[in-house]
Amino acid sequence: MRIFDPHIHMTSRTTDDYEAMFSAGVRALVEPSFWLGQPRTSVASFTDYFDSLIGWERFRAAQFGIRHHCTIGLNPKEANDPRCREVLDVLPRYLAKDGVVAVGELGYDSMTPEEDEVFARQLTLAVEHELPALVHTPHRDKLVGTKRTLDVVHESGIDPGRVIVDHLNEPTVAVVADSGCWMGFSIYPDTKMDEQRMVAILKEYGTDRMIVNSAADWGRSDPLKTYKTGLAMLDAGFTESDVDKVLWQNPVDFYAQSDRLVLDELPGFAPSAETFAGNSVLRGGGNT
Amino acid sequence: MTGFRLGYGTNGFANHRLDDALRVIADLGYTSVALTLDHNHLDPYAPDVSKQVDHVANQLDGLGLRCVVETGARYLLDPDRKHYPTLVCEEPERRIDFLTRAVRIAAGLGADCVSFWSGIRPEHVPPDTAWRRMRVGVSEVLEEATALNVPLGLEPEPGMFVEHLSDALRLREELGAPELLGITLDVGHCVAVEPEDAATCIRRTGALLVNVQLDDMRTGVHEHLEFGEGELDLPATLAALSEVGYTGVAAVELPRHSHAAPEVAGRALAALHAALVPPNQETTDGADLEWVSDVDHPWLVEAEQRVRRNPAAIGTLFPAVGRKVGRAPLRPEADQQGLVHGTVDDLARIRLLAVLSEVLDPALLSGEVAQLYRYGDDAERRGVLRGLAVLPAATVPTGLELVKDALRANDIRLVAAAMGDFAARHLDAHSWRHGVLKCLFVGVPLAAVSDVDGRTDEELLRMVADYADERRAAGRDVPADAVKLLEAS
Repeated sequence: MRIFDPHIHMTSRTTDDYEAMFSAGVRALVEPSFWLGQPRTSVASFTDYFDSLIGWERFRAAQFGIRHHCTIGLNPKEANDPRCREVLDVLPRYLAKDGVVAVGELGYDSMTPEEDEVFARQLTLAVEHELPALVHTPHRDKLVGTKRTLDVVHESGIDPGRVIVDHLNEPTVAVVADSGCWMGFSIYPDTKMDEQRMVAILKEYGTDRMIVNSAADWGRSDPLKTYKTGLAMLDAGFTESDVDKVLWQNPVDFYAQSDRLVLDELPGFAPSAETFAGNSVLRGGGNT
Repeated sequence: MTGFRLGYGTNGFANHRLDDALRVIADLGYTSVALTLDHNHLDPYAPDVSKQVDHVANQLDGLGLRCVVETGARYLLDPDRKHYPTLVCEEPERRIDFLTRAVRIAAGLGADCVSFWSGIRPEHVPPDTAWRRMRVGVSEVLEEATALNVPLGLEPEPGMFVEHLSDALRLREELGAPELLGITLDVGHCVAVEPEDAATCIRRTGALLVNVQLDDMRTGVHEHLEFGEGELDLPATLAALSEVGYTGVAAVELPRHSHAAPEVAGRALAALHAALVPPNQETTDGADLEWVSDVDHPWLVEAEQRVRRNPAAIGTLFPAVGRKVGRAPLRPEADQQGLVHGTVDDLARIRLLAVLSEVLDPALLSGEVAQLYRYGDDAERRGVLRGLAVLPAATVPTGLELVKDALRANDIRLVAAAMGDFAARHLDAHSWRHGVLKCLFVGVPLAAVSDVDGRTDEELLRMVADYADERRAAGRDVPADAVKLLEAS
């Protein structure tokens, strides 16, 4: 099974996770920029974070044979903080970078006027930079938030085929299916979606424009949920080719619209233990 | 805008099947090939030659290789006498027949031209007679060439009757300057026997150039050498090709290196890439850009022009380099990650920085370079670090800050790029030693560190010896580079 995890926050994960993901077949991923749990208070902590997404984390993933890409954007939660909104001015610099395959995560948290403005402005940036957009749907008041999200997408003029609407579930999938946007599902241990419900949705709606991710982060989550969904699909009678479409081809097709996906196997990839002299990942140790 | 295409001659792959040779040449990154017809490479006398031509044409097409046909096979026509018969010997008929066959094959392959030489004048043949035979022979081959619209390239060859560029040009004039009769120029031959250097010969040939062979040579010695082993000024030679607007095949000619063909060809391409310098362009008017070579990366040449016109453009061009010109290591056979010799995108960024340093006031240059690094991703930062060595002295303080920042990172590609020529020249002894130790520690080969021999001191050796002790105490291997450094002292 080859797997492209189109939404996973590796900054919050361990090297064990990278190893387990590689063993399960993950060869490429997208790490959307998002909220870090602890609120930020200045633009500088955003730029350090963005630098890490296009630098250190990409390097770290490469040590485990995984191609790392990211999305860059101001998340809706922090769009409400005026100290953070200034980050919008430096986004264009980052949207020009290699491996930045979309603007995101965008969308709504509490559906405030500030969120409206920041969301619309970043969709405009996506159009200007010829990038797709990754839009998440709110945790609370989800169906209303999803509909409002689709309205904003429509008004922005961005091609719905270049937008993925993420964290969908049974009540929200139909409206997004009708919109022409891609449909993203985050498979979680006990919130959002699980493997069995995901299989049921795939049976009902088919596999076109369907994208499955683990959305693993610092919360209770599982970076192998993509793999486990693939197994559940096979158990339910889907073919290997169906699984490949949902876990690889669809996310690749979506993010390839950025023209910035790099999917060649990493040259000379070997497990890190030897390369790095018995250290875990290049921590530096006593001499640095 | 089209530029010349770097290629390799199949006579340097004599121990490979032709299909294999073409694949290896294309895989290395060449985009053209000089195909020498020979008994084992598309034999023009094979009964199924037309089928073979179709097959090779498909191969070339599939691999994206452009092609010229070369006719310098040694024993194809006479198993006993090398290169015999020639156009200037007693019985040139079989040579003429061979060349007309080559023209038909070139037409079938869609090749740019057929390249040929006169041959050595036998001692008993007076020069007048040889000259007349050349005129007759070439005219005959030209008939077929004209019928099929295939250009011919007459190659002056050391020791042969038509030895110098001036001989070839004179023969062409005497034949009435036929449109389809051009010149093949071997730049190594220019070093060996021409009164002027290769760049001057290229300018003198100008639009008559239909084929170029690339190799190094020493004055007076007709021996095809790898780049750097002779006296050829490769950057100036390639720049001259761009300058005259040459758009054909420029293929490496190393017929005596078949025994190690893939390695030699890899080295040659790396040397060519390293020698490709931005055209020294005076005007920025779009109409004057016709002659600019795209060599392998038309995007880069255009990017350099944009930076020249508008230095601020580098801010948007710098991040795009990898997407446009590629990210492969320059010498993959020995340096898979590009830690030692860098990558294609590193090289392209160095060229952009070199242009920037020409057009930007030194005071502003430091600030711009710092910004490129500050907002750069891993690859852009690497490009800045490797480019520091080409920047003017005023940028040294900024460069030192960036190198120190990179040496705090744990991305080994940044550490490797930081320890190049700039650090060797400018970094203080303490920081430099710690940089070397860090390389040993994280697995950057010391080959990536410039001037290790010159800067290694007692204190560094003490640090490395302590590190080796620490490794042994933990029951771990001591890195080979550390052992080597300690043993050399």
